[in-house]
Amino acid sequence: MYRNDTVVPYFALVFSVALFLMTYLNTQILVGPEEKKLTVGSIGLMAFAMVLFMYGFIGLLSNWLEGSELRPGIHQPEPSSLPMVAGVVLAILLVVLSGFFVRALIFANNPETGFYNDTTLQAGVFASMMLLLALMIAIYKKFFMMEEVLAEDEKGDFPW
Amino acid sequence: MYQWLDDRLSIGRLYAKAFRKAFPVHHSFFLGEITLFSFITLVLTGIFLTLNYEPSIRPVAGPLSDGKEVPAAYYSILYIDSLPFGAVLRSLHHWAAHIMIAAAFLHMLRIHLTGAYKNPRELNWMIGVFLLVFSILAAFTGYALPYDNYAFTATKIGYEIGAAAPWVGRLMSDILFAGELSLTNTQTIPRLYSIHVLWLPLALMGLIGAHLAIMIKQKHTQPRYAEKVAPGKIVGVPLFPQQAVMMGVLFLIYLAVATFIAGAFIAHPVQAFGPPTVATPAVKPDWYFMWIFGILQMIPATWRFEFLGATFGPQFWGGILVPTLIILGALAIPFLDYAKDKRRYLELPSQHPFRTSFVIGMLMFYLMTTLAGYKVDLQLTIGTLWMLVLAVPFLTGLAAYIILKAVYGKEWNQEAEGKQIGKGSAADD
Repeated sequence: MYRNDTVVPYFALVFSVALFLMTYLNTQILVGPEEKKLTVGSIGLMAFAMVLFMYGFIGLLSNWLEGSELRPGIHQPEPSSLPMVAGVVLAILLVVLSGFFVRALIFANNPETGFYNDTTLQAGVFASMMLLLALMIAIYKKFFMMEEVLAEDEKGDFPW
Repeated sequence: MYQWLDDRLSIGRLYAKAFRKAFPVHHSFFLGEITLFSFITLVLTGIFLTLNYEPSIRPVAGPLSDGKEVPAAYYSILYIDSLPFGAVLRSLHHWAAHIMIAAAFLHMLRIHLTGAYKNPRELNWMIGVFLLVFSILAAFTGYALPYDNYAFTATKIGYEIGAAAPWVGRLMSDILFAGELSLTNTQTIPRLYSIHVLWLPLALMGLIGAHLAIMIKQKHTQPRYAEKVAPGKIVGVPLFPQQAVMMGVLFLIYLAVATFIAGAFIAHPVQAFGPPTVATPAVKPDWYFMWIFGILQMIPATWRFEFLGATFGPQFWGGILVPTLIILGALAIPFLDYAKDKRRYLELPSQHPFRTSFVIGMLMFYLMTTLAGYKVDLQLTIGTLWMLVLAVPFLTGLAAYIILKAVYGKEWNQEAEGKQIGKGSAADD
């Protein structure tokens, strides 16, 4: 809590994995593997697991992108070829996945394919696209964006 | 183009005033943003759902129900699920509600543990408490809308608790449910629908707007190190572009995680339960109501008396009195732990043992009362439940205090000495 450390985000990630595991075991043992619906307890565990996962992930990312302590001033980035290549590869992957996502939706609306409405496939592809976009922006911020840290007066006239 | 806009709207001034606001950087601040992004996701997916949902229980039949007559609300859910990506969006709406409540709870926990509710942020803490309560209400009013047997029965538990309120129970059920919640009341679903998609979101938008405006006016609490870097100043990154980029990244991560889970686990598959019938399935309320349900399980049916024409029974004690007392207690926290001078920095939980132990004890209270909701499944007696709910939170809080004292006790003594000889320190209140 003293600075933007990685201890709590790491703990949150480990805890989220434990909660996901608890949900899995809960579903397998109490509900049965063939049953698709989740119990209210499982939904609660999953909800906390997701929040902790997002929090842990963005916490570690924030430490990597912004550091653990800020120092006022302008901080210039250090661009290099490797992040550029990574960005291009991710962009190509994103285009491919976008095409695949549209195909998945067309399949789901096509009587000849039996309205193949696979929610796991559609959501998985969409989630991958969002994750790729997040990674591309993170790479841009880390290697190509000028960083500025302000030391602002405590009293301001915004919003009033 | 920029010059044209600037001449007319002074956007350069807007940028200098609004977009240059300094945002301190700390991982724990993202919990509030996750809550906000859940609300945005709920609104966006909700717009899609309103375009395809029919808030009515008139009987309809069609290919999706195999020609059987089912309520229109239930049928429209089958229709939404049959659309490409429709089931994922509906499930995402459902999961986003759960995530919002969980994230808001964890956000408040962080605020409490770091003392960020103290002077001058008391009002924002109170708005936060109301935001959590309204979020839970919004989730509750949306629960019955798919109009399947499970949702209907689970909503009935909440309805019966609300109707048990002395003197005003009937009025409350008239407002929320347009009368008695029954299979024949055609007004209930339209009433719940309007409250769910209009009135509660408007209230939430107003409260969120006020919460953010006050936060911007009063500034964030900051991580403690900032005191050494620039004393008396807010050390942070500008809202635009740096903070906006981090928020964008978080929103994309949010969408990735929530959508993946929403697609892999359809949160509420209505086909598994079917439309409502007179036969009541074995149901439990959602997890965020389970602690109240648990308290209800602990109270014997004999705890009942009449007063001025009103009945004070187990549903009043467990479903209304205890939650009301806890909400009032939460609202009072900034005044019970009052600070005369303004607080600028996050307090370290290790340096505030009583508060930290209390929070841990309260967490255990919620866990134990939630466990009490499984009384029948776990075959627990009422006596055992009372012992668990009273003793375990107290002992956990006590153990937390002893552990904190053993690990950080020396630092507290040094702090006290530092204060006595007039020295400032990193852990000063």
